[in-house]
Amino acid sequence: MTAVAGMRPAARSRRVPSSAAPDPAILLPVAPVSVATRAMGGRLGVHVDAAPPEAERARRDGRRVLARVGRWADRLSRHLGTSELSRLNTDPRPRVRIGPTLAAVLRAAIDASEASDGLVDIGLLDARLAAEGIRPAGIATEELGTACLGTSARAWSLQAEPRGCAVVIRPPGLRLDLGGVAKGWLADRALDLLDGWPGAVVDADGDLALRAAPGRSWSVAVDDPRASGAALAVLRLSAPARGWPVRWGVATSGTSIHRWLRDGTVRHHLIDPRTGRPAVTDVVQATVVCASALRAEALAKAAVIAGTIEGLALLDRAGVGGAIVLTDHDEVLALPGTRDLLADDGD
Amino acid sequence: MEPGPPTRQPAAPAVPSARATRADPTGMRIILGAGGLVALSALVTAIVVPPAPASAPAPIPAASPATVARQRPVQYIQLAPGQSPPPGATVIDAKAPKPVTIVTRVPAPTPKTVVIRTTQSGKVIP
Repeated sequence: MTAVAGMRPAARSRRVPSSAAPDPAILLPVAPVSVATRAMGGRLGVHVDAAPPEAERARRDGRRVLARVGRWADRLSRHLGTSELSRLNTDPRPRVRIGPTLAAVLRAAIDASEASDGLVDIGLLDARLAAEGIRPAGIATEELGTACLGTSARAWSLQAEPRGCAVVIRPPGLRLDLGGVAKGWLADRALDLLDGWPGAVVDADGDLALRAAPGRSWSVAVDDPRASGAALAVLRLSAPARGWPVRWGVATSGTSIHRWLRDGTVRHHLIDPRTGRPAVTDVVQATVVCASALRAEALAKAAVIAGTIEGLALLDRAGVGGAIVLTDHDEVLALPGTRDLLADDGD
Repeated sequence: MEPGPPTRQPAAPAVPSARATRADPTGMRIILGAGGLVALSALVTAIVVPPAPASAPAPIPAASPATVARQRPVQYIQLAPGQSPPPGATVIDAKAPKPVTIVTRVPAPTPKTVVIRTTQSGKVIP
């Protein structure tokens, strides 16, 4: 009998940076001003920590940010035939020049790939469509990107151009799916646009970019996919009363929503780049708390793909602030640093 | 002179016979029988009637603030002969020291006035 384990011995969590550690003497829960719309196939919301006299201004700023982020999202969606991403995906040339917005997201995708040890790869669109039972239209099998062939090496690259533009270099036929990378990037950028408000949250379809004002805290429920409205945990993300606002990224990834039954087999949308197929994993859902929504989204997805043992080890190495994992045995596990982020019952 | 009527010899001290000194067992038999019936009744009652729960449940410790840390071993995948490890898994010798990690079990709390929710993409929030 042989034991198999991917976890390094004596893995330990890292502490949340001291500047972000909650101060029990403060932490006023926020009753925010909220506005929302739909983008990228999901919800897009802004919550601003604003006093009642400033509520209308906060609402106006929120709508302005939503409109701008919505325009960005329209360039990045593979579901819109007019988007810049769709034009890139249908362009047969191996080198295609792209504009600054798409170039910025592709640079973020490279960061996400590196942060996740290569487990997050936006070049797996055709593998995902195959999992859904959708054969890529107009693309011969031999033209599919190498990502579908089960390699962990990223098959595309960027060459910088002036004014933030870039040239995408890729094998013929390789199509990109920005997915969660775009949502995390959009959430972070939208929060930048709200820099006039010390406390704000951008919700990009469940991926959150948050900033807590000094002495204030945001309560964030971690969704329980097993029951509507239930929560696995409630996080309290706060900033010390004396100090600067603290910024967070919180993202959740999992296999329980985008899943399909094909040929008697349950498949889902998280493709393992090492196999080119839906990941075989014991993780149903992973939530990660760290410094940015982009990084949180990448690491959460990587933890699901890698499974409990390797995934927790990866998150530990990445030094995330907290992580909560739901396994297919209904276990709820968390890295030790998560304790500092959990809300008390009285909250 | 006619002999007088035989005088009664003074009774010799009575030698207790075994039969005469044995205690009457009836009382003891009744007591033992009654005790047996009681024991049998209790036994039958215990078998037939399951233990009833206490009228008030044992007090459950108040929900901790979700910060109970436990040290637990990493769950290993035990391979049967002929099986292959999953992709990316590191195969270690069974005799090697078992790696452990510390995790925190998070009891599910009841969210109160929580307005922000992190979900998987595509989740429809009621």
